[in-house]
Amino acid sequence: MEYKKVCLMYRDQSCTVDGIRSALGLAVENMYAYGVVMDEPKMEKFNELQAESLEMLRDMEGDVFATTKENCELNDLEPITIEELGEKLRDMTHIIPYGIIKA
Amino acid sequence: MSKSLGIFVTNPDQFKHVMGITKAAKAKGSNVKVFFSWDATHNAKKEAGFPELCKIADDVSICVDSYKNMGYDIDDIPEGLETKKMATQAQHGIIIEDFDCYLSL
Amino acid sequence: MKILNVYRSAPDDTTKKLVEIVSRDRDADSFDLNVESPDYESLVDKIFDADQTICWW
Repeated sequence: MEYKKVCLMYRDQSCTVDGIRSALGLAVENMYAYGVVMDEPKMEKFNELQAESLEMLRDMEGDVFATTKENCELNDLEPITIEELGEKLRDMTHIIPYGIIKA
Repeated sequence: MSKSLGIFVTNPDQFKHVMGITKAAKAKGSNVKVFFSWDATHNAKKEAGFPELCKIADDVSICVDSYKNMGYDIDDIPEGLETKKMATQAQHGIIIEDFDCYLSL
Repeated sequence: MKILNVYRSAPDDTTKKLVEIVSRDRDADSFDLNVESPDYESLVDKIFDADQTICWW
């Protein structure tokens, strides 16, 4: 059986929180699920529940990346560049530009 | 036989496209499932065409946690849906695993 | 691998870069949803014809 590989990308703060929950939901369904916080927005610090979600996602071989150093340091996310993200997307079965871009 | 289509909706401003694509896919004999999450659950209460979408598509459900987060009472079930369609992110998993084609809006 | 890039709004530089990398050396088509009256029938045909559809912001 070939497992699905899904990458969700977020460009709005509110979408980030729900989008990580969405990635976790897919990981629970036996998919490789990744989230990427793009250049925008500047994140808020994860609360305990959100930090736990990230930990659970990593336990299931998923992960959350961010394209800015600030967001990586704030919430212990893995750094990724746009070029690296593009290459990663080539390996995905499903690519999901999540929600909206904040105006 | 027409391919099946699953639509995952997270942007509340895309309802017009959800309807247009669902109608076009149904006209081609497709099996269409739509799942609304986060901000897009507003569509279930604010879009006049939502009950019609529920009739046209083969399956429509919303994320009940998102609906609650958007300030709605989970017992206030939108017209066109049943209690069991106030669902979880597992519906998204079904779209990815079981449908031939995938679209996020 | 046939990719369909669908645009909900005019792509910015970041989206353009990602599309360029994802579509590299692949058979890529596109559809613009950001018009007054999209041809949904044509879009559905393209979705059914593609191996993967990406609907950008």
